[in-house]
Order: sequence, then C-alpha cells, then structure tokens
Amino acid sequence: MHIRTITQALAISGLLLGATALTAPAFAQDVKTITGGFDVGPGGFPKNFNPLAATGGFTWLNTYYEPLVIYNAELNAIEGALAADYTVSDDMLTYTFNLVEETWHDGEAFTSADVKFTLDLIRDAASGSVFTGRLGKIASVEAPDDRTVVVTLSEADGGLLSVLAQVMILPEHALASVPPESIATSTWWATTPIGTGPFKFTQYVTDQYVELAADEDYRLGAPKVDRLINRYFENPAAAVAALRAGEIQFTFVEPEDAATFADNEAFTVIEGDSYVVNYIGFNQKVDLWKDVRVRQAFMYAIDRAAIVESLYGGAATIANCGYVAPHLVPQGLNDYAYDPEKAKALLEEAGWAELNGDKPITWLTYYGSPQAANVMAAVQAMLAQVGVNVVPRVVDVPTYNGTVYQENNPDWNEFPLIYAGLQNGPNPAGINVGLNKSQLPPVGANIMRIEFDDLSAAFDAAIGETDPAQVDARWQDVCKVMNEELPWATMWVANRYGVASANLVDFVWTPAPAGGPYAAHPELWDIK
Amino acid sequence: MLNYIARRIGIGLLMLVALSILVFVLLRLAPGDAIDAYINPSAPLSMDELAALRARLGLDQPLPVQYFGWLRAALVGDFGFSTQRAGVSVLPLVLERIGPTLLLMGAGLLIAIVVGIAAGIISAVRRNSLTDVSLSAASSIGISSPAFLTALLGLYFFSVQLRWAPSGGMLTPASPFSVGDLLAHLILPAFLLSLGHAALIMRYMRSSLLEVLNQDYVRTARAKGVREFWVIIKHATRNALLPVVTLIGSTIGMAIGGAIFIESVFNWPGMGLLLVNAVNTRDYPVIMCATLIIGACVIAVNLLTDITYAAVDPRIQVA
Amino acid sequence: MTSVATAPLERTKGPTRRSLERFFSNRAALVGLAIFLPILVAIITYDWWWGLGPNAIDLRALNKGPSATHWMGSDGVGRDVMARLLQGGRVSLIVAVVSVAISIIIGFLVGAFASFGGRVVDASLMRLVDLAMTLPPVIFLLVLASIAGTGIMPTILVISLLSWPVLSRMVRARLLELRERDFVVAARGMGASVPHLLFKHGLPNCIDILVVYATLQVANAILLEAGLSFLGLGIAPPEASWGNMLNLARSTVVLEQYPWQWMFPGAALVLTVLAINFIGDGLRDAFDPRSALN
Repeated sequence: MHIRTITQALAISGLLLGATALTAPAFAQDVKTITGGFDVGPGGFPKNFNPLAATGGFTWLNTYYEPLVIYNAELNAIEGALAADYTVSDDMLTYTFNLVEETWHDGEAFTSADVKFTLDLIRDAASGSVFTGRLGKIASVEAPDDRTVVVTLSEADGGLLSVLAQVMILPEHALASVPPESIATSTWWATTPIGTGPFKFTQYVTDQYVELAADEDYRLGAPKVDRLINRYFENPAAAVAALRAGEIQFTFVEPEDAATFADNEAFTVIEGDSYVVNYIGFNQKVDLWKDVRVRQAFMYAIDRAAIVESLYGGAATIANCGYVAPHLVPQGLNDYAYDPEKAKALLEEAGWAELNGDKPITWLTYYGSPQAANVMAAVQAMLAQVGVNVVPRVVDVPTYNGTVYQENNPDWNEFPLIYAGLQNGPNPAGINVGLNKSQLPPVGANIMRIEFDDLSAAFDAAIGETDPAQVDARWQDVCKVMNEELPWATMWVANRYGVASANLVDFVWTPAPAGGPYAAHPELWDIK
Repeated sequence: MLNYIARRIGIGLLMLVALSILVFVLLRLAPGDAIDAYINPSAPLSMDELAALRARLGLDQPLPVQYFGWLRAALVGDFGFSTQRAGVSVLPLVLERIGPTLLLMGAGLLIAIVVGIAAGIISAVRRNSLTDVSLSAASSIGISSPAFLTALLGLYFFSVQLRWAPSGGMLTPASPFSVGDLLAHLILPAFLLSLGHAALIMRYMRSSLLEVLNQDYVRTARAKGVREFWVIIKHATRNALLPVVTLIGSTIGMAIGGAIFIESVFNWPGMGLLLVNAVNTRDYPVIMCATLIIGACVIAVNLLTDITYAAVDPRIQVA
Repeated sequence: MTSVATAPLERTKGPTRRSLERFFSNRAALVGLAIFLPILVAIITYDWWWGLGPNAIDLRALNKGPSATHWMGSDGVGRDVMARLLQGGRVSLIVAVVSVAISIIIGFLVGAFASFGGRVVDASLMRLVDLAMTLPPVIFLLVLASIAGTGIMPTILVISLLSWPVLSRMVRARLLELRERDFVVAARGMGASVPHLLFKHGLPNCIDILVVYATLQVANAILLEAGLSFLGLGIAPPEASWGNMLNLARSTVVLEQYPWQWMFPGAALVLTVLAINFIGDGLRDAFDPRSALN
C-alpha cells in the first residue's frame, strides 16, 4: 500500500523532471549570443553601471560606452577611440582631440558637445565622480567645432591620457537635464543608458545579468554576434562551474582552476600580466621598521623563487622594486637572493631581540583567495625561521579600507604590516600614490606613511619629465631607489588568467587591472 | 480578541523600531562603510576623495541625524537607493526578492514535508526493521551534515558532472520566461534544501507517531477491526502531527530570511543572498529595509500563529 | 518469631540512577559514545603520538594524496591534513563548548529572572528575547562577525549570542510551572530571596533541560562554526578548523582532484555531530520518565 504510493510519487516526479528538461527553452539557432562572466575577478565591478563612479569593470563598460582614447590590447600604447587622433602642445599643457563620426544608440549625432559635457560633469565635484581628483589639473575644456575638443591644463600631467582612457563619454542630450547631485542615483544608468559602443543596452535583470544587443550602425562595422550577455556570479568558482556546464563562454579564473583547463581541447586559456605588484608594506609609524636592516632581513628571509615556483606554478615574476617591465628595471639591482643566515645576521645587528623579539605582529590583508592564504602561510613560516613572528589577519575589503583609512588617530598597531598590491602599469605612475611623501593622507593614498625624501624626489622627477627619450631612465631611477631603501618588501607580479570556449572566434581579453579598458573590438567577436 | 490583536500589532511596530535601531547601531560598529566597500585597494583613492564621496551619501553626518533622516523617509515608504548599485531604489529591490525566496523555501519545504512525513510514518510502522534503521540513519546524517557541504556536493554531481540541472541562477538569461525553465532551475536547490528539513521532520514524525501508537484509542481501533492502514493514517497520524506542525510552523516563520548557503552556492536571487551581499558591501539602505521586511514578516507570522492557537484551543486565554 | 522470613526490602533506585540506566540501555546513545569518545581522545592527545604539526609547511609536498608520511595527504602548502584535522577538531570543539557554556549562562539567567522577577521584568525580558529572535540570524551573524573579526574569541562570541534566546524560553516555561509548586511557595513564604530560589530550587530542576540543550547545542555550534568559516568569517586560515578546511571544497579543483583535503574533515564533522546528537537524544530520553513505557 505505501510502497505503491511511493512508487507512484517517484514516477510522477520523474515524469515532471523529464518534462521540465524537455520544455527548457532551446535558443533559436539564428540568434548568436556570447555569454560571459565579464565582471568576475579583481578587474570586474558587478552591478555598477555608472562609468563616472567606476573603479573597475571597464571591460564590460567598454562594450557599450567608449572613451576618447584607449589602450591597445597589449596595454603598451594609447590609441584613439572616440578621438581619431590627438596632438599635444610642446609645453604639454594643451591637448587637441579630433573626434570620429559616430551616432549614439538613440540615433543622435555624437559631437564635441558630448565630450565637453562629460569632462565638465566630472570636474563638478557634486557629481560624485571618482575622476574629479585625477582630472584636477584640467583648467578648461573647449569645443571650437563639432569635431574638435581642446583640453587645457594648468600644469603638465603625464598621466592625463591614462586617466582619459577610463573616462567614458556620455550623451549630453540625455543627461544635461539631470542635476549633477542626482546623477549618481539616477535610474538612467541601469534602465536606459545610451552609449556609442558596438552594443546597445537591452535590459538588466537585477543582480543576475545584463543583456546587450548589436548596434548595426557602429562605425567600425555591425557586430558579428547579435547579443552579448554579462552574467554575475558570487565568486569565480561558480563562474567556472557555469563555464564547464557550457552556460557561459568565457570567464576570469583563479590560477589553480586555469591549470585544469590546460589540456582541455574545448577551451583556451588566456594568460596575462596582472600589472599589480604584490608587496609587504611596512607601516613607517611603527618603530619596528625604522632600521633598513630589518626591512632587508625580510627580503633575504623570504624564498620568493620557491613560492613563485610552487604556489604560483611559475606564473609570476619576482619584483625587486615596484616594476618588472624590462624597460623600467635598471642593471645592477640587488636581487636579495634567499639567504636566511644573512637575514638572521641583519636582524641581530639591528637588535631585533630588544626591538620586538618573537612577539606576534599583525599582518593585515584583504586578499581572501585560497592561494593568497597559502602564500601568506608560507611567508609566515619563512619569517618564523629567522625569528620574526607575523600573524596573518585576513579581512574583507570594507574592513581593510576602514582600518587603514582611519582619519583621526589611526591605531598603527592594527596594521603594522600589510600584504597588498598596487597597480604598477601600464602607467608606471600608478604606484606613486602609495609611496610619495606628497601623497600622505588625506591628500593621497600613502597609507603606510612613507616619507623617504629621495624616493619622493625620484617620483616627482619621473612624472614631470617632458622629454620622451628620458622617461624610461627616470623610472629606472625610481626603481633603483626602491630597491635600496625598501619602503616596501616587494614580492612579485603574478599572472592572471581567463578561460574562453574554443567556439569563440576573434575574442580578445587581457587581465588588465580594473578591466582596462583596452581595445577589445567587441564588434569582431564571433561564435561558431 | 480585537484588543489583543491591536495590542500585539502595537507592540510589533515598537519592536520594528527597536530592531531598526539595533541594526543601525550594529552596522555602524562594523569597521568600514559603504564607501570603503567601493574602493579597490590596489587602485586606491585619497582620503579627501573618499570624504567627498561620503559627504554626498550623507555618511559624514552625526549618527542620530542619519538615523532619524532614515526613519523619517522610511515612514513614507522611501527607503533610499542602494549604495552598491547606482540608481537602484531599495524598496523594489528588496520586494522583488520575496517571490524567489518564498518559491525556493516553499518548494523545499513541500518536498521536505512530503518526504519527511512519509518516511516518518514508514519508519514508525516498521519499527526496528532494516527500513527503519536505514531511514533513521539517513535522517541522522541529514541533520548532522553542514548545509553548504551538501549544496556544494549536490551542485558538483548533479550539475557539473551529470548536467541534469543548470549550475545556478533562477532563469536562463535572456530567454523568454517559461515555467519549465523556472522549474529546471528550482529543482536542484529546492531538493538540496529539503534534505536537512526532511530529516528533522522525519525524526519528529517518527517519535510522535510511536508515542501515539501506544495510546489506548489506537488499541481500541485495532480491536474494533479497523484495517491497519486506516488505523495508522486516519487515527494515529492526525494526532501525531501536532508537534510536526509546530516544527513546520516555526520553520516557515524563519523562511522569509532565506537559505543563505543554498542561495550562495546556486546564486539564487533570494533574501538571504541579498543580505549577505549587502553586509559584505556595507549597503546600509538595503540592510535596513530588508531587516525591517523580514522582521515584519516574522512578527506577523508569530501573531497569526498565536491567534490561531487562541481561537482553536479554549484553554488559552489571551484577553 | 524467626519463622516469618521477610524478604529483604529492595531499595528503590533514585531518579538519577534510573536515568543513567535508561541512558546506558539506549543503543543509539551507546553508539554515539562509542564514536565520540575515541574522537575526543584522539583530538586531545594528538601531539603526543602524531609527529607532524598542523602548520608545518612543506613547499615540496603540495597537494599530495594519502601516503605513508601523510596518512591523510597534504594541502595546498604542504601541511599535513591529519594534523590539521585533529587540530581543527580541537578548535571546533573548544569554540562549540565555550560558546554553549556562555549561552547557557545567559539563557538560564534571562529565563530565570523573567520567571521569578515579577510581571514587568518578565514582559520586558521576553520582549528582548522576541527581538533577538526576530532579528534575521543572517544579519546578526554577518554583522557581528564583521565587527568582531575572524578568530576563536569572536566566533565564540557570535555563536553564543545567537543561541541563548531559545534556551531562555524553555527555562522560563519550566520555572513558571515550578513557581506554583508547594515547596517553592513555602520557601518564598519563609522569605527566601530570589537568588536563593533560583540556584537552590530552580537550577536543580532545570538540569535536565540544560543538559539536553547543551549537548544538542554543541552539535549545532560545530555546524554553525563550519558555516561561518564557509562564509569567510569564523576561523580564518592558517588556523585550522573543520569549517575552513571544508571551505576549500568551494573550488572545483580541490573538490575534484584533491578530495582528501575536504572529505576527511567533512566525515569527521558529520561523525562527531552525529555522535553528539545520538548522545543528546539518549540523554533526553533518559531524563524523560515516560520513555520507559516505550
């Protein structure tokens, strides 16, 4: 009696399951769609649609918005996007951009008025843009005719083009009527945004995915696929599961997952430089680190080659200063080869036993991945061998920022040491914010309170260098000073990975910091 | 009775206000705020820039000012905008999570109730047989297993390996809505969710039924010649159900909060996941609104339960 | 006189003795003890008989499967899984036991004062309990954990704050019933103070609830700690705990290719919780005089 009811129940549920499998919709074969986890990983910024307030996620934003200029896919040169070309005056104070012919997704013409509107909006602090400070040297923006924009600076700024590469141009005709204070909370961004890119916005299903459709009128040609979908995932592991299940064609993956796709014919593994230098930061307000010998001891005590070999699978480059790009690294640097005996000797010279001995030192970080945990455990063990007792403390990003950005009376003992990363490329000035005396809070982000005069001077010289032939040499000087004075114990620059389905054709992706943007040419992407 | 209801509603509203103050204070105690969640430490902004962004969100005002500003707006139904999602209004965001949450919890509970009660009855009737022992063992393991582990393993086996179910989400992106699609996405998380609850329901049902089967009236029914099947189903089970119903009732009360582990593993757009994300990004408006809504539901369910008990059981005085 | 042979009076067994007998004749409870005690002993004594430490990294033995040196294999930094398992057991059990102890103290005090303190105290304390129960545990958990940070002490704090409301209700119900009994009325009539009533009369009569609650709650707390670590809170690496070892299973690589890293902690967790649940059920049946009828 109950056996029968049970079998009946099982049969019904089995039928139900089968029925749902059959009725699960199959895509019509003629609608080509590429689905990916574009905002997965450190370069992504899921659920953010306002390019003015974006600190990441530019890969995706660049599929329907465009900036004036953009990095190429190799991230070593800036080329034009909405600006066909540009000229810079000799004193580096005037930039003239010649714009392309393009229409907005709603059919209106793209003109210089849009560029002027966007830049003026950013310069208005009420708009809450994160670029306001970085474009602070702009004195005026003029639009003498529909196809020309002239930007005049109050002082030379070598990083201007780099910053402009992340500024997406917005339509004046759609946003001029919105008061700047309400721009950030406007519903326009996530419901009816208008851009100039190869794809146009269709819909956003809150917290799930964003759908774009091809813009047939794109000046570089109609896109080969009809739809682009960006799915949000809680973490890279969920994205990998979806990739394997064939539900998406592309995502960022953690290094250990990338290894499992290496032999799989159905997928291509994309490897690229992360442009983030990982380092151990010394809080200069804590007396323990005043003696350079202690900082040197850190460098000698940690076997960076072994960690790169075993925990990164060789996919990282050891950093002996803030840079690893060959043209920025001079000859004759101290390579601080692994030498624990020397480390112990240096610590003894510096009187470590009286300074601290084996009292635990908090080592704060925001890196929460299993790989980072393993790396920190390995470093902790190596430091313990020479008599330094560090205790890793992993916190989430808001807690980390809340701790290190404390305005009034920060407690230095909450972050005497940090394990962090700072973007060191494609523009080498990226690490200036963390190392220059002029960038001490609240003006900058030099949270470790590093006040080395010759280091700051070297940075200032490099940033202010107007002769293109001398620029590399100036950055090499910065590298040399960093290597000698060790404001940070620089560790390595790791590679980052993405995995794409082998069915994708002409798909370009690089793990650029903050997602770039870079010239990925989404209109050329195709799927077999 | 009406007095009682009015009084409970009044107390309920006061509790909601107390809840909102409690959550507000707790949130401010947590290190880092919405702006801190925004900034990527490897491309940091200066403290001045952060201060400017904070000022725009009103986060630099003294705490009581912030709280009363929020309260005043909330009283007219304006819960503000999500700090994490530009331009997305909070109240619709939270409300649209209720549906998927109830769907998941409802489906999971339904499966759990059916399976749990059936297994409990079989187990009690076939006491100490192999069926009973194995079912009891299964239910013990079910209660003892961490929910997230079952979810991860279930996802791995059924979705990644066997491809029987999609790997997450509620609907296939960018495809027209179909009930079949929804069910296909629902079945795996609901099934995995039901395991823990089914195990608990089974145990309660079994022990309760065993107790009832020893009662005199059951013996009388058997002596009267009623067929065993009807003795069990009609006489015993109905009376044995009371503790199980209490259990189910309290589970439903907590249901609106969502099942965070399942939702996290399957990216199911429910309340639990919304809250987890909101706390991780210190999205205060979302947290406050969601807490209020969940709190209101819990209070409402408790009130309904108490009223039902009072109406049904003459021994309970509520006046 | 001596012809009437009177049978020696049988001394009836006291309730405690009867409960113990019921407990030891309960098969499931004995199985639970049989599983739990060896685990407990192994966890407490492991550094006497197991050579490898839980934090000894070995970059040359990453992710190795079970072998002669590493009986349960090694993890991503070459640490021995078995040592971490045993150390993690210590951490998980300590967290569970201490947090349960704290929540028992809080729960008992709140329930007791509510029942004996008079109507106003009762009403306000119960409203407080209601408030604590209305708060979605998700938020409470996450926010408390973000405030407190990761680590053993914060996790203990979070778990104990989450579990006391249920106990306070049970204690209150029991003590309300007790309050009307003759001996209590008499004691109050003689002028006994509230603390005297609580600790001399109330506590002994609640022992059975407390013991059963404690046992089952320890099992719950172990699961809760695992869940917290899964969410990235709770105990963070390099400290070992069963929860954060299970967290490794999030990555498909570990799930598929290095199953020993999560299967062993998973099995240990399930077995321990199972055993404690059996013991707790056994205790509950043992204390319930009606179960002898079954």
